[in-house]
Amino acid sequence: MKPVLAALVMLVAAGFAADTNPAASKNNGPKVDLKAGSAQPRQLEDTTEVAIARDYSIAWKALATALGENRADALDAGFVGVARNKFGKAVDNQNKAGLRRRYTDRGHKLEAIFYSPDGSAMQLRDTAQLDVEVLDGNTVIQREQIAQPYLVVMTVAEGSWKVRVLEELPK
Amino acid sequence: MNYLANSRNSFLRRLADMAIILAMCWFAAYAARAAELKVPQQVVAGQGFSIATSGSGSETFYLIGPAHVAKRDVKIGEPIVIAGEEVRAAGRYVALLGKGEGAARAVFYVAADKPANINFLARPSRVAAAKPGAISGVAFVFDQFNNAVLAPTPVKFNLSVEGGAPVARTVKTQNGIAWTRMDSGRKAGAAQFVASVGETSVRRVVEQVAADACNLRLKAQRKDDVVVVETDPVRDCAGNPVPDGTIVTFTQVDGKGRSTVDARVKRGIARAELPPSDGATISVAAGVVIGNEIHIGGAR
Repeated sequence: MKPVLAALVMLVAAGFAADTNPAASKNNGPKVDLKAGSAQPRQLEDTTEVAIARDYSIAWKALATALGENRADALDAGFVGVARNKFGKAVDNQNKAGLRRRYTDRGHKLEAIFYSPDGSAMQLRDTAQLDVEVLDGNTVIQREQIAQPYLVVMTVAEGSWKVRVLEELPK
Repeated sequence: MNYLANSRNSFLRRLADMAIILAMCWFAAYAARAAELKVPQQVVAGQGFSIATSGSGSETFYLIGPAHVAKRDVKIGEPIVIAGEEVRAAGRYVALLGKGEGAARAVFYVAADKPANINFLARPSRVAAAKPGAISGVAFVFDQFNNAVLAPTPVKFNLSVEGGAPVARTVKTQNGIAWTRMDSGRKAGAAQFVASVGETSVRRVVEQVAADACNLRLKAQRKDDVVVVETDPVRDCAGNPVPDGTIVTFTQVDGKGRSTVDARVKRGIARAELPPSDGATISVAAGVVIGNEIHIGGAR
């Protein structure tokens, strides 16, 4: 009886986890918890909240793919402008040096701090929980687990929100 | 006998060589383990610097940053020169000397250089004149390498239209962003909306157009077998002529019923011909604005 009960509890827990993290469950991206209450000068609409969490998760998935497989084209799913160029350059450099970066993304605490009056741009602050491995060929040369703050700017592009600025902030 | 002695000597020489190689390997490993990296407290984007190392021997050096990744052999004990172009992107960098457990490691952050670029969002591109808070401007301040400048920076917003008094406002950035909301000017025309930081400025054009018609006036006269109606020059409340093409509706009500004619403003005036009537009331409207009313075929 006990194993059946345990299995049921696990099933319910799994269902609950999927419900509370729709962004992650739908696109296989990392978990994103968005706090939207303190955005100024405009409040986020409900649909925008959902879209930001979903698209930010997509962007991190794209970044992990690009840096892990040295594929700059993967960035197009989530990045535009300055950020797209920056990470595209990182992929080029990694390719030249024979290096890769493998991200295990353990989730993001995202907070909207600025939402432009016209609703076309948003600035956010993120704390990302990441395990990062740097590989030289197939050898792991460094491995670290970090909680890294980021400054993020997302804008509307091609019908979705894309990351235009993603910068690490000093802790 | 000689053969045996030679073999023993050769064996001993090989043993000695192996011992030397082993000692060198041990020393290299020890030197690498003992190596330390000293990075500067603060690094500014695009400015080269040196990482001091201690120890001896040679090792592989890795620099892993947001946009730049490099791998090269370096001599331990000598400073590792990092070129300005390797640290153009602001953010977190990891410097590694060697691999795995024994590697020396240092983390440093690169901060943005001084402001040099502005991304300026001005909305809307077309707005009615004399509308409070109708124009918004958002300025993102970046350095020459497109890193967000996070230090509070004053941004000057200036909105002007030819022949009108300019409106200027200075706002300090927060987390690299400054924004403002401004009233559209009373005068129609192409307003220049400029955001500037120091010597850098970005201009956007906001087309200010006449608002709704104001004081709409109508006159009518009989001509042959029609009634010709026309407006005075149609202007908004600030005196700007409404754009040609604006639709004005003339309505005639008489004993036979109601006739309505939509006419477009042409060279500031809307004009139409209505069917003849002995006693009719004619009125004029443009959008939600209603003008005067006149009566033909009798005094009113």
